[in-house]
Amino acid sequence: MNFSFLNPLFLIGIAAVALPVIAHLISRKSGVVKKFPAVRFLIASRGDASARSRLKDLLLLLLRALVIVLLVLVFAKPALFTFAPAGSVGPRMLAIIVDNSFSMGYGGNFERAIDKASELIETLPDGSFGLAAPLVALGEGRLSPADGREALRNELRGIKISNTFTDNEKRLEDALAALEGAPGQTKEVVFITDLQKNGWHGGKTAGDWLRIIDVSEEAYPANRAVTGIDAGYGKDAVTLGLSVSNFSDKPQEQLLATVSAGGEDLSAYLDIPPGGTVTNELTIPGEYISGDMTLDKAQDKPSGEDRPALKEGSAAIPKDSLAIDDTRYFVLSDRSDFNVLIVDGDPREDARLSETYYLARAAETISEATGAHITVKDNDSFLVEKLSGYDLLFLANVGDVTEGRAKELGEFAVRGGTAVIFLGERVRASSYNALLKDLLPAELITEVEEETKIVPPPQSIFPEEVGERLSRAAVRKHIKAVPVPGAEVLLGLEDGDPFLIKKSLGKGSVFLVTSTADTSWNNFPITTVFLPVVKGFLDMPGSADEGKRNFVVGDTVPLDVLERTEGTEVISPSGKRYALDTGAALFENASEPGIYTVSESGKDYYKFSVNVDPRESNLAKLEAAPGAPEAPAGKGLVKVYRDIWRYFLWGAVMLFISEAAARAVFS
Amino acid sequence: MANGILDIETASRLKRFYFRSPSRVRGRKAGIHKSLYKGISPDFLEYKEYNRGDELRQVDWRLYGRHDRLYVKKFEDEVNLAWCILVDSSASMGYGGGDSRKLRYAESLAATLAYLLLRQGDSVGAGSFSGKDLSLMPPRAGNSYIAPILEKLESLAPEGGTALAGPLLKALEVLKQDASFVIISDLLTDESEIEKALQLLKAAKKDAVIFHVLHEDEIDFGFRGPIEFLDMESQEKVIVDADAIRDGYRKRIREFTGRLKLLCHEYESRYVLSPTSRPVEEPLIEIADK
Repeated sequence: MNFSFLNPLFLIGIAAVALPVIAHLISRKSGVVKKFPAVRFLIASRGDASARSRLKDLLLLLLRALVIVLLVLVFAKPALFTFAPAGSVGPRMLAIIVDNSFSMGYGGNFERAIDKASELIETLPDGSFGLAAPLVALGEGRLSPADGREALRNELRGIKISNTFTDNEKRLEDALAALEGAPGQTKEVVFITDLQKNGWHGGKTAGDWLRIIDVSEEAYPANRAVTGIDAGYGKDAVTLGLSVSNFSDKPQEQLLATVSAGGEDLSAYLDIPPGGTVTNELTIPGEYISGDMTLDKAQDKPSGEDRPALKEGSAAIPKDSLAIDDTRYFVLSDRSDFNVLIVDGDPREDARLSETYYLARAAETISEATGAHITVKDNDSFLVEKLSGYDLLFLANVGDVTEGRAKELGEFAVRGGTAVIFLGERVRASSYNALLKDLLPAELITEVEEETKIVPPPQSIFPEEVGERLSRAAVRKHIKAVPVPGAEVLLGLEDGDPFLIKKSLGKGSVFLVTSTADTSWNNFPITTVFLPVVKGFLDMPGSADEGKRNFVVGDTVPLDVLERTEGTEVISPSGKRYALDTGAALFENASEPGIYTVSESGKDYYKFSVNVDPRESNLAKLEAAPGAPEAPAGKGLVKVYRDIWRYFLWGAVMLFISEAAARAVFS
Repeated sequence: MANGILDIETASRLKRFYFRSPSRVRGRKAGIHKSLYKGISPDFLEYKEYNRGDELRQVDWRLYGRHDRLYVKKFEDEVNLAWCILVDSSASMGYGGGDSRKLRYAESLAATLAYLLLRQGDSVGAGSFSGKDLSLMPPRAGNSYIAPILEKLESLAPEGGTALAGPLLKALEVLKQDASFVIISDLLTDESEIEKALQLLKAAKKDAVIFHVLHEDEIDFGFRGPIEFLDMESQEKVIVDADAIRDGYRKRIREFTGRLKLLCHEYESRYVLSPTSRPVEEPLIEIADK
């Protein structure tokens, strides 16, 4: 710590120390000259008073001189300074974002990041303004700038490592935006990170405002991770596809991978090439699934309820420098089927003329890959079919819909099912509008017969190549429909009418196609885009949510609640209990990897697993840091000043008061 | 009346007071002072109206029987006295303004006393001294002599230093007759000089009254703040913080007057402190027979 002056020229003012002396001399010279007869007594008396007077004069002179000196020093702005890396000088408007994604747990990255942030805070000049925040907000996540180092220290102390994959750029931009309200012209965001490649979208956030400090010590940190467990359900066994990745530039040989389920360990030795992933299938015999051993269904199945039985386990590899991704958890569900019901409103003996011919063919093609079960029913059968066993429902030119069936369709969607409604000759608009009022994404108006084409909207949910091919589909006839509030037009026609409309309902979705599923009104089913669109329905969020048991950290977990949310709680792997908010069957605190238990009224209902995002396990670093580079040490050190003039001002005030007190005492 | 240095009203208030010499004197004419020569001339001289203080045994009772008024018989053994009033006209006596000017006060004091002394039949001479110089009018009797005395006193101007012994010695040499001395001065000179003068007077067997005239400023020192003082005689300069030295100064001036009083007592002279703030009649009453 050194001492200096920011305005040293003001030190010339030290000469003003002579002012009290000069003032004294001037007052003596220019003061009253009085003729007096008894001067000899004055001279004698002066001798008596001189000692006291000298003491008084000396003290007052000293105090006055010190007041002047301190005032001069205040203007000269004395400052203590230390040396800091170049580029960190002057009051700064700074947001310090510490990468707390779980990849920072590698080695001592996170601790180094905290140390670096702390060092930055301590070297911030007085008057700096800023914030210190984690990249992944564990709580509220609000970014609010604060004044002073102590506030930043407090914020820094609250930063903990998370288990989450991150979106760097949005958070960094949010941090910059949070600084907008702070004083000062230049805003700066310092991102202290391991510079992991994942999390960046091509470095588009590069800008003068961003400075990245890389705290990782290795150019290519080696990491192994269990990156996936896919369960395949057979009649007699469950096959677990265990994926293990080698994120390093060296091959991994004979890596022991172990799956633990029901007290049994299934092991395999894996050879993984550099940067590669190996999937190994491990089979759990049927007795473990349906028998009375550890994975006994009875353990998880609420008594008297027709609920699927669940089992859980974990897969692990030997711990490495990033241990959190060396174990992956899973929960098996015997809800293995994905059931699709296709309702044909206009069945024909010749299947090729049937309304659902193309639809069924497309669904069967997709089911080969997804394992979905396809069921085709006619209109009458549909009216008595139990819908709860299905995940996806296609209604094609279904003209007869009862009031009860309409209500069940609504409940089907609310539970998480997906309903896709194609129109046709048999559909009566008024009947649909009345019976399916709460279900339909649009109000049906009238049939329109004109040649037109499908026009994808700019923000298509389909892949780009699908969108281009969609325009080849010609529509000769359709039913004009007006979307209801909240509905979304996914595909439109050239005349401006909608072609495909989506409406979210509960946890599910309802899609309305304003034309037919066969070729009677359009050639859409025979175009190359029909299959991807149908597959898109299967992939829509909400489809088959019920029964999903494996999630990643940060996911919002939809819960299968028995009857009501009151009394339902989720128990985290560490034993922390989360009570559900009334009316919300969503769990938003999946921040910890492991097996979670859903409990209703004190009784375990089912379990689900939460794992870290496998993308975060790849520690490959970004080749070039986006944005402004960290001020290199090569630029040398610069002085970082800390103003202390306030103390001198206080000193001057105190001395001034002392001087007045001394005068009072001596007078 | 001579331009105000003689206040007739004050003098009138003091007309019943007599200023007697404490010792026997060599008077040649009848007076109120006891003659040094007892019984040398016991003849009746004159009657004098009785005044308070006259001895009752000298009252002529027969005359009282005829005129119903008291008269005392005066004999030759009560003689008059010559007074030599010396006023210090040194520069330091010029301090003050108006009636509080020390020289003015001294003049007034001298004039009043001279008037009263002449009125009681004594011879009065008046003079001034400054430095080693002495200017003296020889003592003479008669009320008419007050005019030249006043003229002399009014002509005084403050200048020179204060030297007491030298002028006094000159006065003793000049005076042919026996006389008592009245010295009106601020006595701002060396104490040794004052003692020397008192020694001279005692050696010459002269009664002396010392009126010590001081201005109020010299006693109280009511100045404020730092002031550069210039000595009126030595021209010496001194810069002092009046507030700081006030107490010390007052103490010193008190000690000075106290020592003078003792000194006068030691040399059988009468010391009367006469601040200019004090009415002239007060110091005079102090030395008068009541």
